[in-house]
Amino acid sequence: MGRHARPHILGRAGKVSLTALGVAGIGVMVTSGLGLKADLGSTAAPADKTQVSTSLPTGGPTVPTTAPSPAIVPAGANGTTATTALYPIAVSIPAAHIQATLQMLSLNSSGALNPPTDLTQAGWYTGSSVPGQPGPAVLAGHVDSTTGPAVFYRLEYLRAGDTITVTLSDQSTVQFVVTAVASYPKDDFPTTSVYGPVPDPELRVITCGGSFANGHYLNNIVVYAKLADSQA
Amino acid sequence: MFHRSARITASALIAAITLLPATAASAQAQSSGSGTDGWVRLAHLSPNTPPVDVYLYPFGNSTAQLVLKHVAYGTASPYESLAPGLYLVAMRAAGASASTTPVISTEVNVVADRAYTVAGLGPASALTLDVLNDELDAPSGRAGVRVIEASLEAPTVTITAGTDDIATDLRFPSVTGYQTVDPGSWTVRVATQTTSASSRVTLAEDSTHTFAVLDGTDGAPRLLDLGDAVGLTAVPKGGVQTGFGGTAIKTGSGDGGLATEAEWGALLVLGAGGALFAAARLRRG
Repeated sequence: MGRHARPHILGRAGKVSLTALGVAGIGVMVTSGLGLKADLGSTAAPADKTQVSTSLPTGGPTVPTTAPSPAIVPAGANGTTATTALYPIAVSIPAAHIQATLQMLSLNSSGALNPPTDLTQAGWYTGSSVPGQPGPAVLAGHVDSTTGPAVFYRLEYLRAGDTITVTLSDQSTVQFVVTAVASYPKDDFPTTSVYGPVPDPELRVITCGGSFANGHYLNNIVVYAKLADSQA
Repeated sequence: MFHRSARITASALIAAITLLPATAASAQAQSSGSGTDGWVRLAHLSPNTPPVDVYLYPFGNSTAQLVLKHVAYGTASPYESLAPGLYLVAMRAAGASASTTPVISTEVNVVADRAYTVAGLGPASALTLDVLNDELDAPSGRAGVRVIEASLEAPTVTITAGTDDIATDLRFPSVTGYQTVDPGSWTVRVATQTTSASSRVTLAEDSTHTFAVLDGTDGAPRLLDLGDAVGLTAVPKGGVQTGFGGTAIKTGSGDGGLATEAEWGALLVLGAGGALFAAARLRRG
């Protein structure tokens, strides 16, 4: 299990005090981290929800920002009719101070999931379910830029029971509850666990984590969530 | 509030205090899903059995976790996600008190990442409550379909999807295994010896379905498409590159997050020791 799935010895409050102790103990080692706090406000909390993309340093492939064609919206299961026009436009995760608009994400030529082109936006993979429809809906976002935090910087702080709200294109909202948070090596990514078919409406929220080497993080953080009980 | 470096330090301290073995904190791959819950749906597919109230109890608990009122023939609930364990499913006549003896009941052992359909099947005179194992996965690029023959008026049916035979001369009451078909939008035809009915069904790639053949209103059988599981239209290869390292701790180590934690833990212990030593010296001084 990832470190998040470890028995919870301490709540968030306890973690704060331990963090403080850690800072006191090895103050010299966290100076680079302290420098990042200033960046946090500007990059992790988009003030304008409708803002247009700021380009990534590497300039990734262009991602369509229009609605997906009906053909790529999964058909609803359980006898429901697919609402072809519906797609997710925003995600809110209060426990991680995340509030972000969503891009459409597709696969690149080698079959990997393109990350969002905007560090302050997250993305919805158009080959996954529309959030609230049966099957896994996949969201991804950056943990950081080359200089500071990005939209999913705090994603790995989530715990089972935290809520995630997705807003759809008709302004309706779908609420999910976190069931697990895991950290997986990218070179041993459990595709079936994360992307495998499920019978109920579920959500997977993905970012990077672990060590950073050769220009990439070695792990992916994956948050698993299911539809909140009130809507199930 | 938090920043990456301090957070990892706190984690390392916790690890140091609890002497958590490194292996216990390593990432664990699972077969499917998050490994936390299984799923159950409840269905009434007994043609001449009146509507029922369906109760689901954690085994040995007299308080129902889920109650579905007035479930009529030809209906199935959405999947309910449940913690793994043993459950009891009971059906009572619609409106009957929860304290009355059920008409029928059965146990279902829910395993994480597995799905079950608990269905009332057969004629009222020989009603059974069956636990069906639902497939969540179809072979890559295909869709999976099984059939429940639940029509008393059409006791023998043949079902085709496009040009694929799904079931031939299937007799009431019965449940087939899953078979794979090409994904797509198909005309599914349910034929008896005297009549037939067609409906349009979309079978997404990597999805699984249960077709229930029901009594129709005009003598022709009716097809109910119960979606079982839905996957992605195309599964991404590997992980996602969602970081540029601006908040990473540059250890130069390629050993993964855990190694980093251990390193920080060791440094923290050294640092704390140094601080205590310094404090002791200050007091003495």
